[in-house]
Amino acid sequence: MKFASLAVGAACAFMISAQAQATGLMTCESGDPAKWQSKDKLTKMMQAEGWKVRRIKVDGGCYEVYGTTPDGNRVEAYYHPVTLEKLLVARRGEILFQKK
Amino acid sequence: MGGLARVWHSPYAFMALLSLPAAVMAAALGGGGASAQRLLDPTGEFAARFLILALMVTPLGRLWPGARWVGWLLRRRRMLGVAAFAYAAAHLALYVKDMETLRAIAAEFWVLGIWTGWAALLLFLPLAATSNDAAQAWLKRRWAQLHRLVYPAAILTLVHWIFVHNNLIAALAHFAPLALLEALRIAKTLKRPNANTARRSRGAVTERIS
Repeated sequence: MKFASLAVGAACAFMISAQAQATGLMTCESGDPAKWQSKDKLTKMMQAEGWKVRRIKVDGGCYEVYGTTPDGNRVEAYYHPVTLEKLLVARRGEILFQKK
Repeated sequence: MGGLARVWHSPYAFMALLSLPAAVMAAALGGGGASAQRLLDPTGEFAARFLILALMVTPLGRLWPGARWVGWLLRRRRMLGVAAFAYAAAHLALYVKDMETLRAIAAEFWVLGIWTGWAALLLFLPLAATSNDAAQAWLKRRWAQLHRLVYPAAILTLVHWIFVHNNLIAALAHFAPLALLEALRIAKTLKRPNANTARRSRGAVTERIS
């Protein structure tokens, strides 16, 4: 059972190392967070477009917004924190919009 | 028996251990520090973890037959399965709370990362309902057949996890040890084709899944 023990050990090592990986759908080259626009401003901008914003967090240097689109889809949307440009919208992992 | 040994052998201690993440999450939710949406991922992850652990018991028994720690795990397999279901049910309840309306839930139902989660939970329902001695005695041989539904349910869980986040890494990292154990189990079964009949004649009743 030496092989089995080794294989199980290797699988555990893979599991632990994989946990350390980033899991976001998007990354942004956004520089110093001190120069970012505020989450408040993004919220107001999106609300003006008809979005419902539930929560904004930082993910991979982007703003990741949990909210509802104007047509009523519950999504995660990624925005560039400096330009506030919309980069990606995904509904439960299904990509609805991606900036070209 | 020393104090530590008593804790080690106590089913209640194990139950408390399985409930610990739920207690932390319930406190966070009750204290207002966490919304339903924030607890969606952790409840789903713990459901999958306990499911994976429960499923690892049988192949571990094949690879290390008669090992005492495998016996220890085997006596706790039902608790792991029931805990997996409880976390999955909490996961669904939080999802419904977060989505707010039936219309919103229906609108995304056919997204691959969503219907697979519903389907997995649907398969877990009869398994959880029959995870007791009475059902086991009543169903006899059919109990083991029914509980093989756990395999399609596990595959649905994996697909749900991968697609709902559009990310392979976390889901595969969790399922890799189980996949490996299952591969080793299959390899061992193929190498010794009469291993199962030998086990059966020794009276391994609950270990009949192959």
